[in-house]
Amino acid sequence: MLDRGDLNKLVRAVAETRESEIGCDECFEQMDRFAEIEFFGSVAATTMPLVHDHLRNCEDCHEKYEALLIAIGVG
Amino acid sequence: MQERTNEQWLTELRGPNPNEALADLYDLLVRGLRAALGGRAGGVDANIEDFAQEALIKIMSNLDSFRGESRFTTWAKKIAMNVALTELKRRRWRDVSLEDLLARRTATGRGLANPQLTPEQVAFQNMVLAKLRSIIDEELTDKQREAMVAVILEGMPIAEVARRMGTNQNALYKLLHDARKKLKLRMEAVGLSPQEVLAAFDEG
Repeated sequence: MLDRGDLNKLVRAVAETRESEIGCDECFEQMDRFAEIEFFGSVAATTMPLVHDHLRNCEDCHEKYEALLIAIGVG
Repeated sequence: MQERTNEQWLTELRGPNPNEALADLYDLLVRGLRAALGGRAGGVDANIEDFAQEALIKIMSNLDSFRGESRFTTWAKKIAMNVALTELKRRRWRDVSLEDLLARRTATGRGLANPQLTPEQVAFQNMVLAKLRSIIDEELTDKQREAMVAVILEGMPIAEVARRMGTNQNALYKLLHDARKKLKLRMEAVGLSPQEVLAAFDEG
């Protein structure tokens, strides 16, 4: 089931794992605030670490966040 | 378009004459969607307009849930991005069943070792692969294994996998989180540091 080509993705996902993580719903609730902090030049990872961790672990939420950043930029 | 504070947006949208605010909000959402989706909306503006319309409906029925922690327009754009990306992924993956995705993975390994590696490096890689395979078999439930393959290894959107598994995205994320924690604990217990493994397989 697992082959050489999979290893990088799987082990990277495991390496990024934290004991406590928030789910997609909670991340989505806070995503607008997180995105604005990042957009206006601060590092949201320090003030909102759980959102930052979730975005690193969840491709779906990360994609929504990236799209939101672009949308904020067009005013 | 007039600039509005959060309060002004909410007051106008809740008021007796919301049409101007609605029209301005719609335009904002369309602009944001066009920029963010690029060619992904199928190159057809009708898709973007549909997404903006659907987002407007969701926004209007959820005004009370706006917490004021960001600009109203950012909150609204968040909803629009969610509507659009969820639907685009549903369309992209609609013909892919979980069974087909899982069946593509055979018991035999794919991928050969980099011929430039030393025999010792290849042996280490093979040992790690064998250990990880047995950890996965021993530690994870069937559902966790399926979800892990579909989401992490095959890249199927978590919402799509959740739908097929009869659950929701949030619950599936938690299931995967539990799986990742189990794997991390076992790897550490058998002396496999994820960082060392990544370094050993970094053939780039």
